[in-house]
Amino acid sequence: MRETPLSNCERQFLLKAIEEKKRLDGRQTYDYRNIKITFGTDYGCCVVDVGKTRVLAQVSCELVAPKDNRPTEGIMFINLELSPMASPAFESGRQSELHVTLNRLLERCLRNSKCLDTESLCVVSGEKVWKIRIDVHVLNHDGNIMDAASIAAITALCHFRRPDVGIQGEEVTIYTPEERDLIPLSIYHMPVSVSFSFFQQGTFLLVDPCEREERVMDGLLVIAMNKHREICSIQSSGGIMLLKEQVLRCSKIASVKVCEITELINKALENDRKVRKEGGKFGFAESMAKERITALKSEIAPVEMIDIEEKAEDIICRTGAPCDTVPSPVVRAPGTGQVGEGLQNAWGLDEMEEEEEEEEDDIEQGGPEKQPESETITSKKGDVVVISDSEEEEVVILHQGVEVKDFREEMSSGQKQATSASKKKKKKRKLAH
Amino acid sequence: MAAGLMRLPVFRKQETVSESNEKHLVVPGDVITSDTGFMRGHGTYMDEEKLTASVAGEVERVNKLICVRPLKTRFYGEVGDVVVGRITEVQQKRWKVETNSRLDSVLLLSSVNLPGGELRRRCAEDELAMRDYLQEGDLINAEVQSVFSDGALSLHTRSLKYGKLGQGVLVQVSPSLVKRQKTHFHNLPCGASIILGNNGYIWLYPTPGQQDEEAGGFHTSMEPVSLPDREVISRLRNCILALATHKVMLYDTSVLYCYESSRPHEIKDLLKPEVMEEVVMITRQRLVEQAG
Repeated sequence: MRETPLSNCERQFLLKAIEEKKRLDGRQTYDYRNIKITFGTDYGCCVVDVGKTRVLAQVSCELVAPKDNRPTEGIMFINLELSPMASPAFESGRQSELHVTLNRLLERCLRNSKCLDTESLCVVSGEKVWKIRIDVHVLNHDGNIMDAASIAAITALCHFRRPDVGIQGEEVTIYTPEERDLIPLSIYHMPVSVSFSFFQQGTFLLVDPCEREERVMDGLLVIAMNKHREICSIQSSGGIMLLKEQVLRCSKIASVKVCEITELINKALENDRKVRKEGGKFGFAESMAKERITALKSEIAPVEMIDIEEKAEDIICRTGAPCDTVPSPVVRAPGTGQVGEGLQNAWGLDEMEEEEEEEEDDIEQGGPEKQPESETITSKKGDVVVISDSEEEEVVILHQGVEVKDFREEMSSGQKQATSASKKKKKKRKLAH
Repeated sequence: MAAGLMRLPVFRKQETVSESNEKHLVVPGDVITSDTGFMRGHGTYMDEEKLTASVAGEVERVNKLICVRPLKTRFYGEVGDVVVGRITEVQQKRWKVETNSRLDSVLLLSSVNLPGGELRRRCAEDELAMRDYLQEGDLINAEVQSVFSDGALSLHTRSLKYGKLGQGVLVQVSPSLVKRQKTHFHNLPCGASIILGNNGYIWLYPTPGQQDEEAGGFHTSMEPVSLPDREVISRLRNCILALATHKVMLYDTSVLYCYESSRPHEIKDLLKPEVMEEVVMITRQRLVEQAG
């Protein structure tokens, strides 16, 4: 199915925002999204999340006859699938252009860089070698599938364990995991690809484009590197003219990013190995937080703080001084004592406060403009208010012969009727000094 | 101690009392009937002599024909429907329009009114100048003229009320929420106009000042829209989203009632789930009163 076309306004908005150095999700130009690596119960199965883009890689092996021109080398087969689960634009069966490009890029990144020692995969020269097969499935497409796929592929390769093989003369025995431990593959280095998207005719670049940015970009540069600063593959697409300095700059940025990502991969592998050794639980189900209130939480949205100082000073100048306090203790009634007059809560106005002010036409006496929000106020003319920090408790001071209004405030989100009802019922007596 | 409102990330909807009329609702895999005397229609399949639903929706029975009408679906066009679509391609003698249906709809060059309003044969120059009339990314509103055998729609804009759309706001909702009415163009008394496309694309725009007869409808005014008009349109948009979230049928009366009951709230508050629910509840009540 064709993708819904991007409207002109949206395209212009994105390009304008990028001109002003602003990205949709608030990242900086060289920032990656959150990368999360989780492993399955089998060796060689790994899921990588780059922001919302999700990619699954699975490594498997089998014994086959080697290629005729390379009798002593094992075979590495890489396959990337764009599943329709990832995006409605992906169709199963038909190989689209994007599919072919991604496959080629991934192959070049892994095969041409010789990250896997294929000689060690040979069992009997000319007859039996290991064929390592890497299947990468894209589960969700939110931009930059290439980077996620490369991270997933190399992590899965490092995580994978193959059965041990014993040769006695002519006999070849493949040991089961129960007989002998599985052995890891021999990996020389870890190539990771970093994508740069270009805008404004190649003058401005962004690292790790999200799906919207990918749709409006002019061109794409993909550099695959390892942490030893060796470039494994480099590809520029989109037909933009890139200057030499830009390509060099991109490679410098890529080396920094690749170091960080390689560290992350190593840490994840280390954690998984530790958990498996100690006999703890591992796998995808364990990496998902269940039955916790934060299971569905969203991340903190970044707040723009550019003019915050001027605005803060504005607010300070405009508001009056807080009310005076009475330091001496006062005994209101037998059994109660009070220290200090009730202070106005100087935390700031809330929307509820503004609406309440509209409802009631009480006159304010001097004092600060800001009003307490979640206090239980029981007062009479001349009496003093006790402030309780807790929102849910009601604090009642019983005076002889004084009418007491008490109400309970519950600030939980499900209480829609309560909020509207409490607004109507709440009557606040202001402090009258 | 916190002064703010704590909102759950996933809005938990409470159980509401449903209407008493029994609708036969099914989900994919539900057995509709084991009786073999029925013919199977759209949305069903035979699974070991049992008629099973393949989509989630309501079961409709016409004599011996059973079909399932899905709740959330792509737009199935019929002749005479008003649609709002976006041009995706400019081809030889026709435009491809995206209308939220299974296939892109087709707008033939012979089905549009040429600017100048002349009725003449389309010549080669017209074909070359197609891009001057409608480009990729433009929004148009058109009527369905016919349906091709593969299900693609053929559109036409052969009336002055159809054509390219200018400044306004597009709201995308499910096509099943737009009620089929006599007319889909309304000038709402609150100060904006609305086009309720049958394909679920709703276009809100400021009411044009004088009705100057622009031939062909290809000229769009680029004058800046005033702030009160923009506020009305923003409020309408949020109202429509609220109605769509609560699965209320959209037509001019329901949109108008929703607008009026949303007056006490600020425009941006209408995006909060609890405010949405409150406004839609009041709208539903008014609609029931009006009907009953």
